[in-house]
Amino acid sequence: MDAFITAVGLVLDPHVLWVIVASACFGMFVGAMPGLTATMATALLVPVTFFMDPVPALGAIVTATAMAIFAGDIPAAMLRIPGTPASAAYTDESYAMSKKGELDLNLGVNLVFSVLGGLVGVAILIVSAPLLAEIAINFSSFEYFWLALLGLTCAIFMTTGDAVKGITSLVFGLLVNCIGIDPTAGHPRFTFGSVELLQGISFIPAMIGMFALSELLRGAVSVDEKNAVIAQKVGNIFKGVWAVFKKYWFNFLRGSTLGVFIGALPGAGADIAAWISFAVSKKFSKTPEKFGTGHIEGIVDSTSANNSALGGAWIPALVFGIPGDSITAIVIGVLYMKGMNPGPTVFLENPQFIYAVFIIFVLANILMLPIGWAAIKSSKQILRVPRNVLLPIILIFCLVGAYAMTNSFYGIVIMLVFGIIGWLMEENGFPIAPAILGLVLGELLEQSFMTSMIKADGSALMFFERPIAGVLGVVTIVLWGTMIWRAFKGRNATLAPT
Amino acid sequence: MRANDAINGLILILLAAVMIAMTSTFPAFPGQPYGPSLFPRVLGTLLIICGAVLVWRGLAARRAGERWVEMAPWTREPWRVGSFFLMLALLLAYILLGDTIGFIPMAIVMLLALFVWFGVRPLTAVITAVIATFVIHWFFSSLLRVPLPRGLLDSIL
Repeated sequence: MDAFITAVGLVLDPHVLWVIVASACFGMFVGAMPGLTATMATALLVPVTFFMDPVPALGAIVTATAMAIFAGDIPAAMLRIPGTPASAAYTDESYAMSKKGELDLNLGVNLVFSVLGGLVGVAILIVSAPLLAEIAINFSSFEYFWLALLGLTCAIFMTTGDAVKGITSLVFGLLVNCIGIDPTAGHPRFTFGSVELLQGISFIPAMIGMFALSELLRGAVSVDEKNAVIAQKVGNIFKGVWAVFKKYWFNFLRGSTLGVFIGALPGAGADIAAWISFAVSKKFSKTPEKFGTGHIEGIVDSTSANNSALGGAWIPALVFGIPGDSITAIVIGVLYMKGMNPGPTVFLENPQFIYAVFIIFVLANILMLPIGWAAIKSSKQILRVPRNVLLPIILIFCLVGAYAMTNSFYGIVIMLVFGIIGWLMEENGFPIAPAILGLVLGELLEQSFMTSMIKADGSALMFFERPIAGVLGVVTIVLWGTMIWRAFKGRNATLAPT
Repeated sequence: MRANDAINGLILILLAAVMIAMTSTFPAFPGQPYGPSLFPRVLGTLLIICGAVLVWRGLAARRAGERWVEMAPWTREPWRVGSFFLMLALLLAYILLGDTIGFIPMAIVMLLALFVWFGVRPLTAVITAVIATFVIHWFFSSLLRVPLPRGLLDSIL
């Protein structure tokens, strides 16, 4: 209880509240701009949060991402372009509603159910994370090895694309992680005599490259594209939302629960949560024929799911240090920089930070209502910001951000190299998320594996002797077996939606 | 730029082979068969397998009529190609010259170059470039105390 009161004190600091409001506006803007994603918002925020205390730093990221995921719905309804990939699942449906003249209702439902879905996500995070942490406190290197491997496996299984390319991307990320001093023997690997490479590839500049620079490169070649904003005036967006809630409350509960669960699976984030819950909604709907004609039902499911997935992704990130999506992958990097190594011990040593994250999550979701309303009201102005002015400024921002992380040009070089790699990967159909997960989890995987090998003296059976390790190991192997079996039967090995 | 998977696979195989070759110089521990070279070797082998699958699939696609390298439509428009490489060239220029010239002049030049290329009106371009540069500089240098390179400013002030 003491920790909770400390946490309230930490969050209610005027400086922290100011940071939360500022990052809320930032998140709304980035989310509402097509081509700028929630992950990009996080990558751009990190260099700024680097200089803050842990609580405002985490507050900024939590708030900005929650806003960005909602704000992505606005251009989806007005331009038929999702603002972030998380809104892609129901963009056509939203736009169809707008064309029918139900733009107000669509935006209102998106806003209210994003808030509610986000709150469900936080509620489950608050209940489950400490419980899981109590189990996780007994974990040894064997359990962590399997957890890391299971996380990586999930990342492959949940990709929406080609399984082989997903695995390739993952292995590539793991190999990049091998650069630097190796975790057990302390031998420098692949450093080519460079002092800067000894500490490994600097993570945040690499993320800025992969998520921001590669996006800018894609945007640069279509900078003259004009957005055709729908001409409707935005009226009272909250009218009719209550009727929708009364009719579709079960869809909301189903969507947000599913969202948390998918968000908690490593490698699958808000976008996949939205796709899957939209598909589920259609499958169990009494009126599936209405889907695609501007029907609100599927939107209720998926707009709740993508916001609840955000909270879900924090569960494995805080408890095990295994990211649930690419946003929490960056968050884990931030936690390490702040000296709060994620894992069950944080719950014991720094419970006030954990509570502070919970409080900020609740606060951010409540704040979404007024700021989201304001964003919707001013959306026409936001969507009119010219891309040819915005892109160069973001480029300078990336450059300074990457520089700030290392205080040297090394950061910019890393950003440039990974920006080009990320761009090439996307162009050739290699998903980026597995590579990022490999980069984040590589060290945990190698360290727990090497420690376990030394403990077990090379015996593979030891990896299954402890009960939880055994179960995790079997689950991992079954998952791989399923994928290979599906591939062998000529079906898609992953959960790719058709 | 979409290359045939055979090319992607081949590049990955080469990369993995070089990495595996480099691990031979890593020290081993007597009586313990797993050292710093184990992980890169396992990963390298996995990458070679993935690469081989990609080569196999790429060759099949090639036989079905896919080209070796498929260029996106924008690559046929010089202005768009210019936009793409201008971004990269400016970053490279900053890496090479940023330290001697300094952040403020470099950022103004970079922004101006991109604005003009992207067709922003000259007056707007100049005003936005200067304001954006000074705001970013104030934010990172004064507020967050990032030691942005001063460059030419050192000789003036």
